[in-house]
Amino acid sequence: MQPQHIMEGYRVLDFTQFLAGPTTTRLMAEMGAEVIKVELAPAGDPTHLLPHRRAGRSGYYIQQNRGKKSVCVDIRNPKGLALIKELVRSCDVLLENFSPGAIGRLGLGWEVVHALNPELIMCSVSAFGQTGPLSSLPGFDYIAMAVSGVMDMIGDPDQPPYFPMLGIGDVSAGVHALAAINAALLYRYKTGRGQYIDISLLDAYFHSHEINVQAYSGSKGKIQPRRSGHHHYAAAPLGLFHCRDGYLFMVVMARQWGPLCKAMGRDDLADNPNYDTNLKRVERRAEIVAIIEDWLRDYDRDDALRILQDMHVPVAPVLSVPEAMEHPHLIERQVVRTIQDRGYGELQIPGIPLRFSEFPEPLDLQAPYLGEHNREVMTKFGGVTAQEVAALEAEGVLHTQPLPEGVATVAGL
Amino acid sequence: MVPKHVLDGYRVLDFTQYLAGPAATNLMVQLGAEVIKLEIGPHGEPVRNFPYCRAGRSGYFIQQNRGKKSVCLDPKHPQGLDIIKRLLKHSDVFIENFAPGVIGRLGLGWEEVRKINPNLIMCSISAFGQEGPLASHPGFDYIAQAYAAVSDLIGEPDRAPSMPMLAFGDVGTGVHALTAVGYALLDRERNGAGGQWLDISLLDSYFHYHEVSVQAYSASGGRIEPRRSGSHHYAVGPSGIFKAREGHLMILALLHQWPILCRAMGREDLIEDPRFRDNDARMAHREAMIALIEDWLQSLPSDAAALALLEEARIPCAPILSVPEAMAHPHLIERRTVRTIEDRLLGKLQIPGMPLRFSKYEVDENIQAPLLGEHNAEVLKRLLLCPAEQVWDWERRKVLFAKPV
Repeated sequence: MQPQHIMEGYRVLDFTQFLAGPTTTRLMAEMGAEVIKVELAPAGDPTHLLPHRRAGRSGYYIQQNRGKKSVCVDIRNPKGLALIKELVRSCDVLLENFSPGAIGRLGLGWEVVHALNPELIMCSVSAFGQTGPLSSLPGFDYIAMAVSGVMDMIGDPDQPPYFPMLGIGDVSAGVHALAAINAALLYRYKTGRGQYIDISLLDAYFHSHEINVQAYSGSKGKIQPRRSGHHHYAAAPLGLFHCRDGYLFMVVMARQWGPLCKAMGRDDLADNPNYDTNLKRVERRAEIVAIIEDWLRDYDRDDALRILQDMHVPVAPVLSVPEAMEHPHLIERQVVRTIQDRGYGELQIPGIPLRFSEFPEPLDLQAPYLGEHNREVMTKFGGVTAQEVAALEAEGVLHTQPLPEGVATVAGL
Repeated sequence: MVPKHVLDGYRVLDFTQYLAGPAATNLMVQLGAEVIKLEIGPHGEPVRNFPYCRAGRSGYFIQQNRGKKSVCLDPKHPQGLDIIKRLLKHSDVFIENFAPGVIGRLGLGWEEVRKINPNLIMCSISAFGQEGPLASHPGFDYIAQAYAAVSDLIGEPDRAPSMPMLAFGDVGTGVHALTAVGYALLDRERNGAGGQWLDISLLDSYFHYHEVSVQAYSASGGRIEPRRSGSHHYAVGPSGIFKAREGHLMILALLHQWPILCRAMGREDLIEDPRFRDNDARMAHREAMIALIEDWLQSLPSDAAALALLEEARIPCAPILSVPEAMAHPHLIERRTVRTIEDRLLGKLQIPGMPLRFSKYEVDENIQAPLLGEHNAEVLKRLLLCPAEQVWDWERRKVLFAKPV
């Protein structure tokens, strides 16, 4: 039978919350995996409370958890832990993003789960990794960003640094985890062996240094990587330019300097020996920025954009989030897409960034209500009957949020 | 036979340059795949001249291309094109990051290559994707970053946005590509699917990072307008960069951590202060809150003392390390997040570590970045059964290129 998507038939026990781990399992659900999200009773994933909320639903939670099944369990209760251990036996992947050591203290460390299920792939996602002096410290995206030398590279040189208002490190660490689990699944397919994977935000952020680390090391400290505001320190013109009503970003490499001069009606500059190499342009950056901004002063952003695009200069308008969400390219490719949540209604979220020619249509997915799949999952894989599930709910070992009126449950795949 | 790593046995024909594509194949090599890097003669990959250069070697090139084999040829020469097509028959993966359409004009588009090898996974990486209004525009990391509304969220609200001095878009796109290729391989092995074509873009990858902004703007009907807000977060706090006695510290004390922070500062009186009682109140009195915390930080003998107090209370916090400081940090050294490699010509060089850590495998640190065309003879002999004389002849006729050591 033709699978609906690549990961159909894989079952993932998802102990993650907040953002980094849920990103990984969200992409797995988009690729057809059965993701059982274990939420800690009674409140579940803390992001149920994050904005924007409507009809008791969080848009944040919906974005990260579509297509997953929710079981809500008190795992400090021995009965709850026993249920989870039963689930471990029938899952292919276990993912967690607690602080290092916490999953072990819960009784679900690698040695334990490996013994329960030798084919299991376990992946831990953390801020600083499972070992090393920082491993036990609490951490979020920006904390790892600060330690990685990334935050120090953003902002004006004579001012404090900035940080971006989005979770680049969390999402990126989630994609790193997805890649590592995939490779481990391929390996398991051939050898039947499970293994443990250690993914950290610090690793993922540090991995993004394409120039800085080798340049500082190779030059023995002569090249000091520094934030440099709106323009790159090593290439010119490469940065942000003011127009009459907004900003343009331009990346002008050697081949594009001539076309840029032509676009500005300044053919004379193309062969000017003051500007004919990148090194000279970097040394005379202030002059070049002034020339370009003098020219742009008479243009609206989008008019200047068209002129530069016609000359094939790599250029972009600096779009706000609302502008990007309305851009025809992002809409046509569903980089931004509109989904329908059962309770929340219509919502726009980012699209799936992995595009497969064999699976052009996205799966139809819903974010679960808290504990919505307790009964289905536990009777199928937890080794208990429907009556026992009801008793466990009464005891508080399992927690099930009642579905609002008119909301139908989503059956398993 | 025990495989040497998870992708052992897979062969990748790598027609990428610059950063996004090479970042994907850089990880594939470290996962054990055989990567044959196709370079266009006579000069090869443009980053072979990117700084920092020493002994005719680029540290930039070395960082992204260790362990790959280099075959340098002229793809516009019929003989060069034929060599590529023959190599495709022996490859599992074909990856390229030219501007959309270029690979088709070279005669190596998806419809063409799938006929040559129906099991081939082809991955195209581009700035904006293979179709759509922007597809044909030239693009680099920062261009896609601007279109993805990421640049707009960095900097002071009343000033121009600021640009990060590193390419997380290119590297992140490379990781997305690695993931898609890996799952397509899994589909081929496990589900018996044939090959397929993957369309990976910087714009998709950057936009994928919006964890709050897109849904919040959409769901609030535009009432929540995502904006850059300098060194402090616009929606939650305390969350930002605080001036300490010596430098700056990143502190995140969200929700339940506010009272803990107050106690750590010796200011229990603030816990019940109506100006700071919940997140909304703290956001309304953000300047006062920041001033209180910075006053406290200034009153301490050192930044290290502040960090020790905050860490003791388990408040997420960090010093904002420069790149050299991060490279000297004991945690990054112990975990080899920063590692020292030895290039045959350039010598010792530090580069970022392998971000994917497997319990079964050590990272092989002895792999070398190739010289231009270094593996012409080896690859053509082993895979295409070409005698050495044939390779020399092609090198003389400028079908193949090699740079003498």
